[in-house]
Amino acid sequence: MQIELKNLHYSYPSGGEVLKGINLVIGGTEPVAIIGQNGAGKTTAVKHFNGILRPTSGEVLINGENIETRSTAQWSKKVGYVFQNPDDQLFLESVRKEFEFGPRQIKMPEKEIKRRNEWVAELVGMSEKLDMHPFDLTPSEKKFCTIGAVLMMDPDVLIFDEPTCGQDVQGNHRLLSIIKALKERGKLCITISHDMKFVVSSFRRIIVMCGGEVILDGRAEEVFAQTEILKKSFVAPPPVTKVAQGAGLKKTVFTTEAFMEALEDERKV
Amino acid sequence: MGRIILEVKDFSFKYRQTKQKALKNISFQVEEGNFFCVIGANGSGKSTLCSALAGLIPHYFTGKMSGRVIVDGISAGESTIAELSQKIGFVFQNPFNQLSYTAGTVAEELAYGLGNRGVSRRMMMEKVEFVSKLMRIDHILDKNPLELSGGQVQRVAFGSAFIMEPEILVLDECTTQLDPAGSEEIFDIVKELNKKGVTVIMADHDMERVARCADKILVLEKGRAAALDEPKKIFGDPEIMQHGVGIPDYVEITRALKEKQYTDRDIEIAEGPAIEMVREVLDRCKLN
Amino acid sequence: MATISNTFIPKNTVIERLNPMTKIFAIFSLGLGTLISPGPRLGLAVIAGLFGAAWLAGILKDFAKIMFGFGIPVTAMLLFIQGCYHPGNVTFIADLGFAKVGLEGVRYALKIISTLLVFLGTFYIMNKTTYPGKLVAALTESGMPPKAGYLVLASLNVVPQMQRRMSVIREAQEARGVETGGGITARIKAYIPLLGPVIMSSLTDAQERGMTLETRGFGIAGVKPTAYVEVCKTRTDRAVNIFLTAFFIAVVSAAVLTKLDFI
Repeated sequence: MQIELKNLHYSYPSGGEVLKGINLVIGGTEPVAIIGQNGAGKTTAVKHFNGILRPTSGEVLINGENIETRSTAQWSKKVGYVFQNPDDQLFLESVRKEFEFGPRQIKMPEKEIKRRNEWVAELVGMSEKLDMHPFDLTPSEKKFCTIGAVLMMDPDVLIFDEPTCGQDVQGNHRLLSIIKALKERGKLCITISHDMKFVVSSFRRIIVMCGGEVILDGRAEEVFAQTEILKKSFVAPPPVTKVAQGAGLKKTVFTTEAFMEALEDERKV
Repeated sequence: MGRIILEVKDFSFKYRQTKQKALKNISFQVEEGNFFCVIGANGSGKSTLCSALAGLIPHYFTGKMSGRVIVDGISAGESTIAELSQKIGFVFQNPFNQLSYTAGTVAEELAYGLGNRGVSRRMMMEKVEFVSKLMRIDHILDKNPLELSGGQVQRVAFGSAFIMEPEILVLDECTTQLDPAGSEEIFDIVKELNKKGVTVIMADHDMERVARCADKILVLEKGRAAALDEPKKIFGDPEIMQHGVGIPDYVEITRALKEKQYTDRDIEIAEGPAIEMVREVLDRCKLN
Repeated sequence: MATISNTFIPKNTVIERLNPMTKIFAIFSLGLGTLISPGPRLGLAVIAGLFGAAWLAGILKDFAKIMFGFGIPVTAMLLFIQGCYHPGNVTFIADLGFAKVGLEGVRYALKIISTLLVFLGTFYIMNKTTYPGKLVAALTESGMPPKAGYLVLASLNVVPQMQRRMSVIREAQEARGVETGGGITARIKAYIPLLGPVIMSSLTDAQERGMTLETRGFGIAGVKPTAYVEVCKTRTDRAVNIFLTAFFIAVVSAAVLTKLDFI
């Protein structure tokens, strides 16, 4: 699966250019994180990946096929999108019905719906709650319900918009295991997040957006080593990285173990 | 010891629609001017506690309640939310819930609470100007609140609480819509207000922020008070993670340094001191 | 789908600057005046005047659309019914073959229509030129209870709020494989399942709103609320009010006098 943006520009109908010429290729199965300040254009950019928004100019290609050739509903078979606010997405009277809704829309065989239901419910931690009304779920459970509903459609690409918002330690762990499981199944995950600890824990590739442009794109270690550029885009590395940088360690580290190793290296010098 | 401005006495609450109690026998006191943080996994009762402080329990959420919440000498259960609002500024988890939806512009939205207090129009305008500059929303004062982005609404929500100059601020996980730089900016303002004497009660998931701000931390687990202490003591306890909360990276690093016996200092809970400690460790071995 | 409510666009005209109470007074003084006056002539004159006011307010085009859009069909209908079948018809002015048109019926129809149009027109101008916040501030200042004020403002906000939610939910549903484009039937089919949640969420919103308002001090005992929106009475207001009062008194006296003459 490959998503390619060619000189993508987008302006809202009310005026004001939000995306100012984005060139980007995202492919393979390596999870990608998109980070940046509020208003940097992250959500606007990913809303082009399944055609919710259409380019003002430039091109969006999904596996080489122009986004304009199909409707969002048709793209939903290939590209799944989990919205930031679960309340915008849930509207049926049980978790099970939410799970079955999307697959039926795209005419997935009933047998497969049943089979997927088990796997997905287990993965997102909803097995015990399938008959509950989404309305009675906690905000964090609602989020996992929306994730499950999208996973049910078995798309090749999954887009998560701020999945960590309002999650606790356990919720973050679950998100990580979902992303890992999807990677193993050959899916591509693209995630927008403000939570840097979360980002470095499972994303090798990081894209930094600022003012409607991509200003950094690379491996996490490379990106978070660019302290000056990050500062300008109001992105701060995770705390452990900042401590290492502040103390003058040369390596960019993301875990306490890596930190201690880097420290040992410096001590030996 | 300062004056006790807030007291929770053996407080329990069960929502009408649930089987389990959301809070079980919670007791604590908050001194005036303190920064008091509440942490715990989702569902541990943080929001319920915040709701009880502002009087939303028992006045809005019905259920079985026992014990008392006393705000500056007033029993929350026997007062009204409106009366309590003269002392407590409440910032909701979802900023869109903070809006009155009666205002056509951000300026009116900010001034709404002042209007309910019968503040004169001239005074309102002064305060709106001050708070909108503080929150950096002075460029959108004439916009309709319905047209704002999540981050902007969050700033308006905070502004609408700050403008009331409450003695106590209750913040219920309220920066979810803001980017890290934006929430830091707002917490700098909260810290500033706290320095000026405003008591702050904050429920949050960001442990670095909690460690940086808190004078005292209450750890909730499944509705019970699992721990109540100063940040260093809370995060210094190796068992603390078993209550479903994370610990700040600074604690992990400095603890690792201690375990390797690179330092004999206590753990650190903030960025500055942690960096200092690492530098010391590096310098010491260079001297050797 | 023309919605009359919540369509205020600031234009800073003389009419807009009037105190909302003046405009409300105008609705009643002109409307009731027309109702009391015996013939349709006064009403037609007032309508002509309203066109002038709409022109002053910079909304002449929209105003004309509403007045003619409503006026023409209703006039045709009432003229036909009352003209042909009014029980008081004695003077016949035309013969349609199946029925005769009576002058009394025509006059009666014109009177009703002019009264309706005066009410509609004044209300439309008031609504189009008055910022809702200012209207409620003025009403509260003149003694309307704050709760009623809240209800007015909140209900004015319901429609844009729902529209906003609908568009967000539509996006979310498209992303789940629902076709919302295409023909009108496809669109309606796609919207029906969404109506439930939109209404549902509006209701829960309303519940939570009550909580929010109180945490922001709504209903503190013994306080008379104030508003951020400025409401002032200018010299123009005074002049308009005097004119409206004079108009109403004149119409009433004229009506009484004519009645006395006849009896």
